Amino acid sequence: MAVDMGMKILVVDDYATMVRIIRNLLTQLGFKEIDEANDGTAALEKMRLHKYGLVISDWNMEPMTGYELLQRVRSDDGMKATPFIMVTAESKTENVIAAKKAGVNNYIVKPFNAQTLKAKIAAVLGDF
Amino acid sequence: MPAIEVAQRVREALNAVKGTDLRDPRLVEVLNLSEQLVEAMQMFFGSLDKDVYGEFRYIATYIARTRQEIAALRPNDIRETRLPSAGAELEAIVKHTEEATNTIMAAAEAMMMADPTDAAFADLVNEKVLEIFQACSFQDITGQRVQKIVETLRHIEGRVERFASVMGVEDQALEETDSERRKRELLLNGPALAGPEVAQDQIDALFGGDGGNKDKVDQSDIDALFA
Repeated sequence: MAVDMGMKILVVDDYATMVRIIRNLLTQLGFKEIDEANDGTAALEKMRLHKYGLVISDWNMEPMTGYELLQRVRSDDGMKATPFIMVTAESKTENVIAAKKAGVNNYIVKPFNAQTLKAKIAAVLGDF
Repeated sequence: MPAIEVAQRVREALNAVKGTDLRDPRLVEVLNLSEQLVEAMQMFFGSLDKDVYGEFRYIATYIARTRQEIAALRPNDIRETRLPSAGAELEAIVKHTEEATNTIMAAAEAMMMADPTDAAFADLVNEKVLEIFQACSFQDITGQRVQKIVETLRHIEGRVERFASVMGVEDQALEETDSERRKRELLLNGPALAGPEVAQDQIDALFGGDGGNKDKVDQSDIDALFA
């Protein structure tokens, strides 16, 4: 299945530089509609207003973490099908397993490179 | 008045009464018994006073030693000089890192957005690459600042360690704070010191590789992470 390069992608991170890095990488990969939020609460508000084809979220944020955001998204009928990739420095086994059980589609450990991001997006959405 | 002094006064009073002309032998007998009783009391209170004195002396010595050890900790120096200085160094690190990152990002973005067919493209790339090199010099200064913070932490660690050792202090169980509970419940562990605890390829295996996407975690996936 071909990936819609015009779909909206939501990048969630409280660190502005990381948002900028992911945004630039996504632009380089050919994605055109990139939106951003600086924590889980802001992301949920945006997800209620817009339909996103992919959410790329950090884990460690205040007041709502990426893990809580994932749980909220998966328990909401309107959003539960949204593909969700966690991009985080949280690399403990318990984190990976908890995210997987909560329904994350893929998991990237920071620091990461463009190839890893592309590969994980492809694993979730299909080749592009 | 100390108990031993009271007993002494009672004894003197008894002697004074005995010195008078007592005609009733029963009264003399009562006085003798009283005298024996006072002697016994004097011995008892005497030993009691010595024990209490010893205890108080021990406590006073302990307090004086504790005060000396606390003074050796130099808590005012730590609070007023060393910790604020370390905090200022950390703030400077964050600021310089942010500035350098912004410079590097802006240079990279300028190159990304530029038109490679433009005649000025090569000059632009050279200029931006130089900006990136210059911005990377922040790492040297940051390293020196971090070294100063590490020295402060080692200083505090050494003094606290000595204090605990000299005073024979043992750690009490701590009550979990709200912030600590939140971190535990939401698995907010932060980055691992020596790189990721679970490597990306192990995580990929959990998710069925790049091409796959498993729905459920089974025991073999979990076992693979611990292998």
